[in-house]
Amino acid sequence: MRTNRLLPLAAAAALVLPACGGGESVDTGGGGGGGGDNTLIAAVSAEPDQFDPHVTNAYASFQVLENVYDTLVVPSAEDLTMQPSLAESWTTSPDQLTWTFTLRDGVTFHDGSEFDSADVVYSYRRIIDEDLSNAYRFATVADVQAPDPRTVVITVTRPTPNLLELIGSFKGMAIVSENAAEEFDLQSEANGTGPFQLESSDANGTVLTAYEDYWGGAPTIDGVEFRYITEASSALTALRNGEVQWTDNVPPQNVADLEGDEEVELGSVTSVEYFYMSMNYQVPPFDNRDVRRAIATAIDRDEVTQAARFGAAQTNQTAIPEGSPYYLDYAPFTPDQDAARRLIEQAGVQTPLTMGLMVTDEYPETVAAAQVIASQLEPIGIDVEIQEEDFATWLDRQSQGDFDAFMLSWIGNIDPADFYENQHLSTGGSNYQKYSNPQVDDLLTRAATEVDPTARKDLYDQAARIIVDDVSYLYLYNPDEVQAWVPGLTGYQVRADAAINFETVELP
Amino acid sequence: MTQLPTPGATPAAPPPSEPLPTAAPPRPRWRETLGLLARNPTAAVSAVVLVLIVLMAVFDETLAPDGPNDQDPSLQLQPPSWDHPFGTDEFGRDILSRVVLGAATSLRVGFLSVAFALVVGTLIGLLAGFYGRWVDDTLMRLMDVLFAFPAVLLAIAIVAIRGAGPANAILAIGIVYVPIFARVTRASVLGVREEVYVRASRSVGASDWRLITRHVLPNAAPPIIVQTSISLAFAVLAEAALSFLGLGPRRPNPSWGLMLADGRGFIDQAWWYTVFPGLAIVVTVLCFNLLGDGLRDVLDPRQRTLMAGGGR
Repeated sequence: MRTNRLLPLAAAAALVLPACGGGESVDTGGGGGGGGDNTLIAAVSAEPDQFDPHVTNAYASFQVLENVYDTLVVPSAEDLTMQPSLAESWTTSPDQLTWTFTLRDGVTFHDGSEFDSADVVYSYRRIIDEDLSNAYRFATVADVQAPDPRTVVITVTRPTPNLLELIGSFKGMAIVSENAAEEFDLQSEANGTGPFQLESSDANGTVLTAYEDYWGGAPTIDGVEFRYITEASSALTALRNGEVQWTDNVPPQNVADLEGDEEVELGSVTSVEYFYMSMNYQVPPFDNRDVRRAIATAIDRDEVTQAARFGAAQTNQTAIPEGSPYYLDYAPFTPDQDAARRLIEQAGVQTPLTMGLMVTDEYPETVAAAQVIASQLEPIGIDVEIQEEDFATWLDRQSQGDFDAFMLSWIGNIDPADFYENQHLSTGGSNYQKYSNPQVDDLLTRAATEVDPTARKDLYDQAARIIVDDVSYLYLYNPDEVQAWVPGLTGYQVRADAAINFETVELP
Repeated sequence: MTQLPTPGATPAAPPPSEPLPTAAPPRPRWRETLGLLARNPTAAVSAVVLVLIVLMAVFDETLAPDGPNDQDPSLQLQPPSWDHPFGTDEFGRDILSRVVLGAATSLRVGFLSVAFALVVGTLIGLLAGFYGRWVDDTLMRLMDVLFAFPAVLLAIAIVAIRGAGPANAILAIGIVYVPIFARVTRASVLGVREEVYVRASRSVGASDWRLITRHVLPNAAPPIIVQTSISLAFAVLAEAALSFLGLGPRRPNPSWGLMLADGRGFIDQAWWYTVFPGLAIVVTVLCFNLLGDGLRDVLDPRQRTLMAGGGR
């Protein structure tokens, strides 16, 4: 870890502040040794691959980085709307092509250096210039400038109403200090502005210590220790024994048992992830709309979620979960096997027909859901052959278009563009089913630049209705994000975007 | 009691039908063997249980109370009851039905793979043992190469190359057991080859084919029969292992190994999900092993030392 000369002074000053706020944390930091009783031990299922926020794609890394880095704006825990973070406020020009952000004052990086607009420009230029994995989020960005230390100006080539979501929805868009990539080994070190500093990481776990100078006020706990426990039953045992105080490794079949368990507290929220089935428009008879609609009519989503998630999910015939401001209440399909059979007859397709359904054991609930779907399609004359592949083969076959149908999930994040554009535009990068509807293309393209929020939602709703009616995706459900912790742990909230933030946690 | 196992021994050890009917004194020895076997209670009970398992596999669809994929979400993970004596799984499927229907999968793979290994391995062992010299060297070094790989690892490698599925599982397990049969046969043939009656037969001008079929094979058969029974045990186990790893039958086909793999995630909530398929595997494997032991004692006690090197 980087040391700096200012820290002891600042830490002494910070000690006074939390003492005024809450009685429980008066002793915080008094021990001096750190890592004592006031450290939260969290069990996570996987080890981070690296800590460079602009490079990694691993959720396990973001679980840690969420607590170490900040973004200009951040989704609120309640409804994921964008709130100020490192940017205090922002304005857009009347032509919607210039966004001006005013940065927060008095923010310091963990090495003591001050945060200013040059850091923002450096971070964004690094993502754009090195064409890192999130560069696509800057597709409409023409320039990022720093006219003065407290101001950042982003110019875009066309109106981009979802720019805040693009730059703030997760820590892949984190602000690192200027020249951080040269001064630090970002793969294993971090210099962020977040509530915790990355202390060390090895095969056993990752240790974070509280950053006393954090602009939002120092955390009440001394630090966080992430431990990797792959087996869910071991994680739950560790939680019951008090070896760990928090875990997100809770399989759905355990939820019912844990709800009555006094040694464990459960938090659950419908996540922005959605599971779907997709049929190949290039493979007859799945190019036939009636066949796809027959399949959509035969599937009973309640039975699917019961077997695959033990009910820990919300069935949904569209992508965006209920509770999101962009939720669309649209459910045209009612499970009815007779109606499904009539649709198949109407399509003039010879039954029984065989449908290969590609799933992967990387996501076991797709294997379970596929077995339910197979039993539901059998009565209407569709013989489902479940093709279980390892994930690499699965992805390869998907990109080759070598499938009748497949099942997987997307994490939709927040903005409707994230839910629909890549998947359903004719030119969409993830449109593996080769769906092409000029009407949908037109609606989505207009929605992307529509600045009036109501009109924008209306355009996305229209597009979503057609996508559902055409069965470009056969949407199934939004799973619950379930996490568990010891009773008495407070100040923690399960978020729909599955981001894990321990800033305000207090231990029992 | 003593008569019961007699018909049972036929399906439990079908391979003898190849060498035995041609054996020089077939009937007395056949009868005598079964009689001795019936007097060995462990082997007799094993044979009876195996007959029941084979019958279960043959009449699976009549016996199983439900279809293998009859789902009922309202009956998710129900503990054993009168309606579902082995409980239900996460789809509300009847585990008893799936165990019954899984027997056919396990036994089909077991029998066919061992049949493959028996035919190919015995042939190789016969040629190597009977002709000796360079035939022996070439064939047996090839067998050594195959033998050098751990059995399950070799099977996994073969399935990985050829793709998952029951046919490839049969081939993979079959190939794995070829060298064992080759070795056992060769060792047995070497002992028989120089017997006086073989040399006498050769001196009066009998052809190689006649020597092998009339004299060598029938007299070298007992250890091969024993090996067949023991190999069946390992083949059923190997099938379960491959299925467990997802290299056997595809879901939702019932298979004991696959049920173990699926039940593992629910071991906290539903012990019956893993215990009953596990028991089915244990009972089948144990019975084949015990029957093999019984056959060994009955057929030829002197062969014991030879066998010790052959089992794996």
